[in-house]
Amino acid sequence: MGIRRYAMLGVFALASVSLSALSASAEDVTISVWSLDRDIQPAPNLINDFNKLNTGIKVEYRQIQFDDVVSEAMRAYSTGQAPDIIAVDNPEHALFSSRGAFLDLTDMIAKSSVVKTENYFPGPLASVTWDGKYYGIPKATNTIALFYNKDMFKAKGLDPDKPPQTWDELVEAARKLTDPAANVYGLAFSAKANEEGTFQFLPWAQMAGGGYDKINSEGAVKALDLWKTILDEKLASPDTLTRGQWDSTGTFNSGNAAMAISGPWELDRMIKEAKFDWGVALLPVPALGAERSSAMGDFNWAIFSSTEHPQEAFKVLEYFVSQDDRMFKDFGQLPARSDISIPATGEPLKDAALKVFLEQLKYAKPRGPHPEWPKISKAIQDAIQAALTGQMSSKEALDQAAEKIKAVLG
Amino acid sequence: MKRILASVTDGKGFDIGLVLLPLAFLLVLSGLPLVYNVVMSFQEVDMFSLGTFARPFVGFKNYVDLFSQPETRPILLNTALFVSASIAGQFLIGFGLALFFSMNFPGASWLRGLFLVSWVMPGLVVGAIWNWILSGDFGVLNFFLRETGIIDGNIFWRSDPHYSLWAVIIANIWLGTSFNMILLSVGLSGIPKDLYEAAELDGANALQRFFTITLPMMRSTIGAIIALGLIFTLQQFDLFAGITSGGPNNSSNVTQYWAWDLSFRQYDFAKGATISVIMIVFVMLASVVYVRSTRHEVRG
Repeated sequence: MGIRRYAMLGVFALASVSLSALSASAEDVTISVWSLDRDIQPAPNLINDFNKLNTGIKVEYRQIQFDDVVSEAMRAYSTGQAPDIIAVDNPEHALFSSRGAFLDLTDMIAKSSVVKTENYFPGPLASVTWDGKYYGIPKATNTIALFYNKDMFKAKGLDPDKPPQTWDELVEAARKLTDPAANVYGLAFSAKANEEGTFQFLPWAQMAGGGYDKINSEGAVKALDLWKTILDEKLASPDTLTRGQWDSTGTFNSGNAAMAISGPWELDRMIKEAKFDWGVALLPVPALGAERSSAMGDFNWAIFSSTEHPQEAFKVLEYFVSQDDRMFKDFGQLPARSDISIPATGEPLKDAALKVFLEQLKYAKPRGPHPEWPKISKAIQDAIQAALTGQMSSKEALDQAAEKIKAVLG
Repeated sequence: MKRILASVTDGKGFDIGLVLLPLAFLLVLSGLPLVYNVVMSFQEVDMFSLGTFARPFVGFKNYVDLFSQPETRPILLNTALFVSASIAGQFLIGFGLALFFSMNFPGASWLRGLFLVSWVMPGLVVGAIWNWILSGDFGVLNFFLRETGIIDGNIFWRSDPHYSLWAVIIANIWLGTSFNMILLSVGLSGIPKDLYEAAELDGANALQRFFTITLPMMRSTIGAIIALGLIFTLQQFDLFAGITSGGPNNSSNVTQYWAWDLSFRQYDFAKGATISVIMIVFVMLASVVYVRSTRHEVRG
């Protein structure tokens, strides 16, 4: 009897202990995260690290393919199976935030000690903004600048330490560098009829005072005329019209183009493949002292408004943000923040390039933000291609694009 | 009860079951999506209403909008050109090869088998390879044409609006020829040899034999192949994605690629569905031809 009583007591004691333990694990919240990051990229690694911290929040990860991000997200959201957190490409962000699919994070960010809006570059921050509120946090960022082959500059009597500063200098340099006999074009870029074409063209229009909402302004027409000159004089391969940035820059790496316009994602491959001395310069401007501009790429984090655990989801995002200083060192991506100094990699070409890209990032502008960005982008792509194939003048093509964009903007 | 059961295991019920099963299968996997697609083309659809059926009906608005777009006409014409040129090329070359291999020289069946490799290859792989072959600056095709003196300067197959559609057509002909050849070979081997012998005795030459025996005897095969070819070329998507992406400036864009672009790039699902409906009409016409030309096979 006595023994039994003690046993009972023991059971109660155990139960009360395990009850508190149980209540802890019952509070374990599961947060699901979708992004396109592969195993060597940030999201899955940061999530692993986060799960090791045992914060009572368990994060599950699912990788989605680049082309499927928006359609998967839409389908999941409309059927009520959306994840808590997702990474979306920045021009697509407004599509979701404008429709209330993403959670308004403005208040949480205001209270947060980790996420501070003033730490971010203006471009990426603008892409998560809709109607003056923050619907996400920039995940990483990138932009485009001018790569140039220093050896070819020397060979053609150009100063390898003075890359072209203005549009005129760019065309002039391209003319000198183009050498059909040696299969060398002056410049490689992409005017492909997809988002890449818009991504590459908008900076030029913006530098000259144009923009997606004033695409037929004088400056934008001038920018398209510049591209037309480059293609008409065969300073760039006619295949520029159908080649993406990665393939175009490939011709630069193989020595078949003397300059290339592309982004930091090229650096690792270029270091490996390019057997010559190269440098990176800011995108040339219409005239000395003119406003600078560049494109802005990469993804943003966002929390779906359908989440049951907004606080916990935000905590996960705070953790991601707290690890931003590892972005370049561990994953080769640029954090979208101006307050983080990126340590040198020890690779001189890469470090020099990084400096230029960080400078260029200050002028990077988001595409949009607008919920119907793909339609706007399509109008711009069509105009670029119509003008560059000679089927319309730059002015006519951009007028038509402006018309279409006006219909979208309402 | 027993009678019904008996009829299911052995009798009329069994026959009906056999018919119902595939019918249900067809209805669920083809019929419903088809109807859904048609309904969608009369609705206003965006990505957030994608999961529900209750969407506002807009009548023929999608159709009117579509036909008022400046690119619609050229894209429809491109599609017509793509389909007819691809089928003509695939059929003529395929027929030529089939006749060639029907001469039964040593190794003929081996070689014929090898030709099928092109048909086995995934479209995206074929597209990527042709993308390199047709590349303007360093493409193999340009190199070949230049070295043989046919052209002086490089042709930018993918980027010159005059050539871009032809670039895809060339690749598509390469892709589909072997399929045509195999089906035509089968048709050729079905023609009784004594017909030729009798004609030869009567003094008919090779050309006469071809036009009076081969062609008439192959009529149903040819009808089936052309109908199948129409269906296959109308669903040819991978090559466009791999070679030109419909560019430059829509000069190589066709309805099937455009439908995808509208639905999954611009998220205009209603317009994408509208184009699909227009295509369904054409495919149905092709199916009628196909069914009619193969009907005698069923009757045996």
